[in-house]
Amino acid sequence: MRSVRSFRFRPRELPSGNMKLLTHNLLSSHVRGVGTRGFPLRLQATEVRINPVEFNPDFVARMIPKVEWAALVQAADTLNLAEVPKEPTEGYEHDETFLRKMHHVLLEVDVLEGTLQCPESGRLFPISRGIPNMLLNDEETET
Amino acid sequence: MNINHKDGLKLNKMEKKFLRKQSKARHVLLKHEGIQAVSYPTQSLVVANGGLGNGVSRKQLLLALEKCGPMEALLMPPSKPYAFVVFKTIEESKKAYAALNGKEIIDDLGQKIILYLNFVEKAQWKKLGLQALPPGLLVVEEIISSEDEKMLLESVNWTGDTDNQNFQKSLKHRRVKHFGYEFHYENNTVDKDKPLPGGLPDICNSILEKWLKEGYIKHKPDQLTINQYEPGHGIPAHIDTHSAFEDEIISLSLGSVLIVMDFKHPEGVTVQVMLPRRSLLVMTGESRYLWTHGITPRKFDTVQASEQFKGGIITSDIGDLTLSKRGIRTSFTFRKVRHVPCNCSYTSVCDRQRKATSPCLPESSKEAWQLEREHVHRVYDLIARHFSSTRHSPWPRIVEFLKALPSGSIVADIGCGNGKYLGINKELYMIGCDRSQNLVDICRERQFQALVCDALSVPFRSGCFDACISIAVIHHFSTVERRVAALQELTRLLRPGGQALIYVWAMEQEYKNQKSSYLRGSKTSHEDKKEINSDTSTEELLENQMPDGGSEDLASSVPSTVNIKEEGCKPRKVELPVHTNRTCFHSQDVLVPWHLKGNPGKDKAVEPFGLAGCPDPSPVFHRYYHVFCDGELEASCQALGDVSILKSYYDQGNWCVVLQKV
Repeated sequence: MRSVRSFRFRPRELPSGNMKLLTHNLLSSHVRGVGTRGFPLRLQATEVRINPVEFNPDFVARMIPKVEWAALVQAADTLNLAEVPKEPTEGYEHDETFLRKMHHVLLEVDVLEGTLQCPESGRLFPISRGIPNMLLNDEETET
Repeated sequence: MNINHKDGLKLNKMEKKFLRKQSKARHVLLKHEGIQAVSYPTQSLVVANGGLGNGVSRKQLLLALEKCGPMEALLMPPSKPYAFVVFKTIEESKKAYAALNGKEIIDDLGQKIILYLNFVEKAQWKKLGLQALPPGLLVVEEIISSEDEKMLLESVNWTGDTDNQNFQKSLKHRRVKHFGYEFHYENNTVDKDKPLPGGLPDICNSILEKWLKEGYIKHKPDQLTINQYEPGHGIPAHIDTHSAFEDEIISLSLGSVLIVMDFKHPEGVTVQVMLPRRSLLVMTGESRYLWTHGITPRKFDTVQASEQFKGGIITSDIGDLTLSKRGIRTSFTFRKVRHVPCNCSYTSVCDRQRKATSPCLPESSKEAWQLEREHVHRVYDLIARHFSSTRHSPWPRIVEFLKALPSGSIVADIGCGNGKYLGINKELYMIGCDRSQNLVDICRERQFQALVCDALSVPFRSGCFDACISIAVIHHFSTVERRVAALQELTRLLRPGGQALIYVWAMEQEYKNQKSSYLRGSKTSHEDKKEINSDTSTEELLENQMPDGGSEDLASSVPSTVNIKEEGCKPRKVELPVHTNRTCFHSQDVLVPWHLKGNPGKDKAVEPFGLAGCPDPSPVFHRYYHVFCDGELEASCQALGDVSILKSYYDQGNWCVVLQKV
């Protein structure tokens, strides 16, 4: 794994519910009118933490089909993580190396501070203390 | 010679010191107690440092004073650091002055005290409450004669007359009787259209005319409530309902002794007002509209005077003055029924003006989200911690649903609250969403994936969730369109074949002859409510002469009725009733009280639904709910089109549905 010097590293703490890349992979902008063009949200992180999580190969294997790969690769790239395969390899369910890599990328990278940007409208959503705040303000939600 | 000289010097120093202290005592007595010392001898002396308030007992003082001669009175006001002694002659009083001034005695703690005596004209001090009476308050002493008092008391027929509308059953702490209009304790008002026959008793009418002429009162009242308090009886703090009565409210105290009435300002200031026998209390303006008044149920009041004490008059009774034993007190409270809407400037405690701004059922989506913002989002953010502490037991059937899901399923909990269900099944990847940042913070603390968003616009891509749950969420949406829209979002998230579990609060809290745990009040009840609201019996409701929406208890014990076309509200608007916790629902759209417990210290701008909007230590919040009828949730789901209903059931006061995306 390449070092991530561009980010502020915190000493290892107890695991907490900061946004993981798997979660990011599911997120989509809901700004009115953008529809599917709201995916993926462009991730910018100023504080990231690597948080070890127990490896469960079956669990990871089941996640793989649900992942949007382009978005994941893009996000991992933004965070300067090790190269993520562009697509699952044949027989990935039994490929431990592959699964471990995916496990790390999807579940062990915590984003504590940063922003998520709607690719279509440019609207920014903050990630603060690991929690993305996706609320639109009153004017934006009014029908 | 030298020694004499030295002694002389020493004495002078001590003398000087003593004189200084005596002067200081004089000064303090004047400044703080209004006691004016005089330089010439009189019959009366004030003994500074010789009071109950600084640990000197009556016995001690008596012992010291007896030697000087017979006393007319020894007055020891409680909690005061001084006493008064009045002798029959000035000679005796001079003797006492010489004997005791500067004398050292031992107090009840064994400490040495020096007494400082000064002559005074009268044994008199500032009366309780006189310094800062609530604005608009007046106490007129001896407003009627003893004969009139006797007449009035004898005129009250407490027994018999069961067919007489004026007769009221004995309340918990006191007996009451009404004239003119009957006072209704359920809503603390009178029925203006139903006056009682007979009006006010003649004897009262003539007295009232007199008071009007003499200028004690400005208006002629038309309603009378006679209260009889035995020792130990009291009346809880309250403000007389604005919309029921006009400004001037007067109360004549008869029967026993003096009693203490507590007046409290919403910001916490309390003033104790002494109501001597045969005095008239006149409450107008701020004292009538803003301050609460009440009488603590007690057998003794700590007062400065004995039963016979009046003003500054010296009595010959050297009785115990520390406690005033209560006797039976009868009050005649006269009020004028109000026929025009109250337009006072104390809007926070005005029931008429509060009704005008009370929440109504929304008629547009804008009104809907405004109502939800005020009575769902804001409340949850304020009560988050406390709320979370009462939400700890996962419901079995929901756990069952989650545990049945295949390993590796991606699940969304829309309206996850404190994340109660996010960690139930470790084989799942669960993400929680909630509108409340404070609740989501708690999820994060518990190491769950969670984000802040609105359930009507969930920021996930469509069709990527294996399952969703929405527990006790959709009933917070205030229009049917919004409720359906929330259901729509849930189904949008599901992949084909994915399932959603939805729970909403049921209107029917008793189902198949079984009361829900919410009604029964058990620990595993609908919302695990630890705090129970006042289980007020009817008797207590009658007893509490409290205004609408007043104290914390009242907010939950007296549901205000749904008023259509209430003055102040726009026409056709349906006012939302306030629900009484742990009772059946009478309306589908309700405001449910939440009594915040624990430390709300961090919440600076807490504006609870309390009396006068004051920083209530135990505020009440109202959350909006639309409780569902049998079949209503199913019907809403059927409207969605791309789902089929797998299961539909009732679980502990909730209607539940399991949907599957086709």
